[in-house]
Amino acid sequence: MALRSDFEHGRADSYRIATVIPTDDDNRTADGHLKSKRRMPPKPAKKENLEDLKQELDIDFHKVTPEELYQRFQTHPENGLSHAKAKENLERDGPNALTPPKQTPEWVKFCKNLFGGFAMLLWIGAILCFVAYSILASTSEEPSDDNLYLGIVLSAVVIVTGIFSYYQESKSSKIMESFKNMVPQFATVIREGEKLTLRAEDLVLGDVVEVKFGDRIPADIRIIEARNFKVDNSSLTGESEPQSRGPEFTHENPLETKNLAFFSTNAVEGTAKGVVISCGDHTVMGRIAGLASGLDTGETPIAKEIHHFIHLITGVAVFLGVTFFVIAFILGYHWLDAVIFLIGIIVANVPEGLLATVTVCLTLTAKRMASKNCLVKNLEAVETLGSTSTICSDKTGTLTQNRMTVAHMWFDNQIIEADTTEDQSGVQYDRTSPGFKALSRIATLCNRAEFKGGQEGVPILKKEVSGDASEAALLKCMELALGDVMNIRKRNRKIAEIPFNSTNKYQVSIHETEDPSDPRYLLVMKGAPERILERCSTIFINGKEKVLDEEMKEAFNNAYMELGGLGERVLGFCDFMLPSDKYPTGFKFNTDDVNFPIDNLRFVGLMSMIDPPRAAVPDAVAKCRSAGIKVIMVTGDHPITAKAIAKSVGIISEGNETVEDIAQRLNIPVSEVNPREAKAAVVHGAELRDVTPEQLDDILRYHTEIVFARTSPQQKLIIVEGCQRMGAIVAVTGDGVNDSPALKKADIGVAMGIAGSDVSKQAADMILLDDNFASIVTGVEEGRLIFDNLKKSIAYTLTSNIPEISPFLAFILCDIPLPLGTVTILCIDLGTDMVPAISLAYEEAESDIMKRRPRSPLFDKLVNERLISMAYGQIGMIQAAAGFFVYFVIMAENGFLPMKLFGIRKMWDSKAVNDLTDSYGQEWTYRDRKTLEYTCHTAFFVSIVVVQWADLIICKTRRNSVFQQGMRNWALNFGLVFETVLAAFLSYCPGMDKGLRMYPLKFVWWLPAIPFMLAIFIYDEIRRFYLRRNPGGWLEQETYY
Amino acid sequence: MSTKKNGNAITTEFQFPQPKEKQTCMELIYNGKEGTYFGRTPKSWGQLMLFYTIFYIVLAGLFAICMQGLFASLSDKEPTWKLERSLIGTNPGLGFRPLSEETERGSVIQFDTKKPVEGAYWTGLVDQFLEKYRSTGEKKFCNFNQTNGANKVCVVNVDNFGPCSKETGYGYQNGRPCIFLKLNKIFNWVPDFYENVKTLPNEMPSDLKEHIGNLTEIERKQIWVSCKGLHPIDEESIGEMKYYPGRGFPTFYYPYLNQPGYLSPLIAVQFEKLKQNQLVNIECRAWAKNIIYSGSLNARTGSVTFQLFVD
Repeated sequence: MALRSDFEHGRADSYRIATVIPTDDDNRTADGHLKSKRRMPPKPAKKENLEDLKQELDIDFHKVTPEELYQRFQTHPENGLSHAKAKENLERDGPNALTPPKQTPEWVKFCKNLFGGFAMLLWIGAILCFVAYSILASTSEEPSDDNLYLGIVLSAVVIVTGIFSYYQESKSSKIMESFKNMVPQFATVIREGEKLTLRAEDLVLGDVVEVKFGDRIPADIRIIEARNFKVDNSSLTGESEPQSRGPEFTHENPLETKNLAFFSTNAVEGTAKGVVISCGDHTVMGRIAGLASGLDTGETPIAKEIHHFIHLITGVAVFLGVTFFVIAFILGYHWLDAVIFLIGIIVANVPEGLLATVTVCLTLTAKRMASKNCLVKNLEAVETLGSTSTICSDKTGTLTQNRMTVAHMWFDNQIIEADTTEDQSGVQYDRTSPGFKALSRIATLCNRAEFKGGQEGVPILKKEVSGDASEAALLKCMELALGDVMNIRKRNRKIAEIPFNSTNKYQVSIHETEDPSDPRYLLVMKGAPERILERCSTIFINGKEKVLDEEMKEAFNNAYMELGGLGERVLGFCDFMLPSDKYPTGFKFNTDDVNFPIDNLRFVGLMSMIDPPRAAVPDAVAKCRSAGIKVIMVTGDHPITAKAIAKSVGIISEGNETVEDIAQRLNIPVSEVNPREAKAAVVHGAELRDVTPEQLDDILRYHTEIVFARTSPQQKLIIVEGCQRMGAIVAVTGDGVNDSPALKKADIGVAMGIAGSDVSKQAADMILLDDNFASIVTGVEEGRLIFDNLKKSIAYTLTSNIPEISPFLAFILCDIPLPLGTVTILCIDLGTDMVPAISLAYEEAESDIMKRRPRSPLFDKLVNERLISMAYGQIGMIQAAAGFFVYFVIMAENGFLPMKLFGIRKMWDSKAVNDLTDSYGQEWTYRDRKTLEYTCHTAFFVSIVVVQWADLIICKTRRNSVFQQGMRNWALNFGLVFETVLAAFLSYCPGMDKGLRMYPLKFVWWLPAIPFMLAIFIYDEIRRFYLRRNPGGWLEQETYY
Repeated sequence: MSTKKNGNAITTEFQFPQPKEKQTCMELIYNGKEGTYFGRTPKSWGQLMLFYTIFYIVLAGLFAICMQGLFASLSDKEPTWKLERSLIGTNPGLGFRPLSEETERGSVIQFDTKKPVEGAYWTGLVDQFLEKYRSTGEKKFCNFNQTNGANKVCVVNVDNFGPCSKETGYGYQNGRPCIFLKLNKIFNWVPDFYENVKTLPNEMPSDLKEHIGNLTEIERKQIWVSCKGLHPIDEESIGEMKYYPGRGFPTFYYPYLNQPGYLSPLIAVQFEKLKQNQLVNIECRAWAKNIIYSGSLNARTGSVTFQLFVD
């Protein structure tokens, strides 16, 4: 892949052009020298990617003369619209607000919860119950209420779980609502010559609005008057630098021209007056938001898993149900009996509580993640993060602190490293040398940035500053080094100033000195280093002024190159003491027609700034790497800066080279380097626009460390799609409006809580409250843990299905009295099993989950055949054996020996038979033997609880022994106690015999299940012992879920 | 299976999973390329089968051992739990015969006097039931003065049922059916009979009270039986009833201790003037101090219901 490009600075941002070293990065010639030509190209990259948006953005409001514009909107620059016209426009166009994304109506959401998943199966069960009851009711005189009762219970179960999941869902969507900007925005509008303050929604086409710094632009406006007006378009285009705007038409492209300002961007400096040219959804912002909402996001991986699982279980239930329905007919059962069997099989097969359990588990994790600054909007996204295999991360603010900070200084012919850490824990430097003193004086005085008021308690680095980012960096650096900057400025009163402009590329100010005995004025200047150097004749080194000779210029150039190579923005500083004879006290300095020297000054030094990486990021990136997650940096920033940051955070790891690096090292042209040799790549947005999808796939496949620089946010979408084409599950971070399509397209979109725009938060699945990349990694960890734990939870829950189904099968096939009733099944699924299953969500990881590769969504299923085989084929069978043993014990001890039971069902269930003989000749009335049967149900139920103790303990781990894992999960320990207490309560509480047909058990009837409980525990410990002893062995292939 | 399939991809540091090739239905059943039937090779199936066979054999062994333990704790003679400790309790119900083996017919006894076949069905059932009673064995005739020894069984004389004899076809041919009632056997249950006429419960039918009043004290050691129409309309159509051999089960038959050859005492109730072509619900009830009555259909105690329908 060739990285050659002659594409240069893409942004028409004067300040950057002035201050960034004049190269485009990675734009070295083959021999490694930096090219140094500069030009101001148009932005073809953007044109390509905004294609679809551009087509619609066919407007000419910026091209026409102001007069024509006023005419078109029937407005006036001074008087604005008439009230009548404004009212008419408002009625025609509607309010000036973005249409919120189409919301699924609440009742549809509710119905989805009520009829989705297993609910349909249970509804069928309930309806069958009602049908059976109504038929019985119409044919028999005193019908048994069992079916009616069960029907009601089933409906209640479905409705309650439906309401529960609906509640959970609406709760998480409420989190989102809290993010909506509830403070109404106001705009200053001129109508009929009067200045009015209106709500931004009430603006209409043709309104004349006034905007000042700090405001949010209320609509797309054409500027007709401006004073020093700058806007921050970052949320729209990704450009982080404020851009100046004025009335002049400078570019065909509406996004580039200076005379347009766009809805929802921020004014950072100056004031302006403009005419509203489009409102609401028709604004540029509105269109992008619309594009995002039109993208199809697809199902989350966990939703796919759950659907897969539901299909599996439903399939089993329907298959068993229908099979036994048919078998019942063949065996000559009455069809009504067959229907009742069907109900029983459905109820036994469906793990009623499981979906609620999954929801609760995900909610718990979401809460835990929220406490770690990952706010999850969509519950399912919790797990998506865990299966993420690629993260496309923004640079600014996510990987970096989003705060320009002075990183290096060059004075006295040496480079000094400044402290860039967030907590000022880095290296300190000598602040007493004359070189530093001179440099700091310039940096302090030739600086218009000021701290905003009311931030007394805030650490200096975190204080908000009004003014340009570079100046803010200098201000903070000086405040740290010297103390009270404002006071210093007061003592050195500013007399005159030439502000920065893009033609001079410097800024000059003249000050009185704080030394009262010195009447001279001090001239200080800062700007683009090469420009500053041009204006100097001497250089201040080690307290002495020296002539700026070629040697010194060479030293300067080396320092400049070195700092520029680090991706830093470099500024040059110089000063000059104006001689008091020429410029006596009170001299009138004229800044328009310069009457003081700005040449032959004294060069003092350089300072370079960078947005430094966050402290936690390198660790987090390393963690991602060991977790098999590819981290791709996608940034709108300069490749050289991007690369420097990528290197410092480890996205490009030490020793890995790009094609260009190899070329430079071997001194061969880039085209001769085998791209396969380079593990790292820095791809320029301009190249990206020319590559075919196949080439992009190659880039993504063969380079492990990729930085996409100078990408338009629309290209992010292409990158995301490329990764998804490769089968990756992609997480994308973004904060701008223009990121929202990529956020939406990604498997998990991560928006920034602080810097993020509302639209991006809307499109995202997750919000990083602290904008910190490291938080994503904790999210990944939680996501992986919950996937593991959900597996355990499901394994636990599914196991009890076998002891639930098998009684029905035995009932039908062996004609024995029913060993376990439907109500008791529900008591297990929705009662005793719930808390333990949920408690597995709190289980600690067995091993370092961040050391293994992300799960493959194609092969590593939540519920796979091995889990089913374990739960149904092995543990479930032992449990069923325990249940049947208890059943036989109780029957036998009361008189019905096992052999007597086979074939007795018809007589047993017949109300006409009031004297059924047992093995000891005793005769049982219908009532007594039903009591016996229900006692058996209760005992079967209790024995399931007993064996579920062991099941819960073995489900804690999938590979380790429980002795390694320990029993420190107190939620789980509570679950053990809870299910036991609940079982005892259901059995012994008076009135349960009437309500749930649960009868008190003799204590000894709790015991028969114990050998089976031990068997489960011992069997699984042995199994896992072999698993650990023979990794990859047969047992692992067949039983490791 | 997943581990095998990932192996052959190109070696890059980050492998992304590639989707499985689509399989046709036939390939699902038999895949010639990999030699798999239903996704497994015969060897793999064999191993799995072997594993499960061993697993289930061991499980069956465990179950068998447990069952052996259970059987070892059981006695042949008497149930482990008796009377109030057992779920059978201390409150015997009543049983009636003939009872159809077809449970769908419930407790309805229906026959047409003009169709002898239908009557014969019930006659046959009663015959079958009384078979055991006719067989001779070492039995003892008991009376109120002569109480029974521990393991001896008092005989029930099937010749005492008067018109409800085999010879008359138990009345089924002439529309005057006999129903045989018996009290449920409960191991070691001893009746607590009404000794004093004055303490007889109020709800006891007056004719029964009268009947008891006419007996000698020793003859009152009986569990009394009375039948009536379940609902007022049944009361009208039930007509006259006769009880054979008497109106109660003599207490010398109790307790039941699973003695060999023990047979429950019987009472035959003949419905002499049953209204025809109408379903008549009849409830029979046993009377003793320790028989608690409950008439509900699902929790009936101390009594029995059946329906007669004579065409």
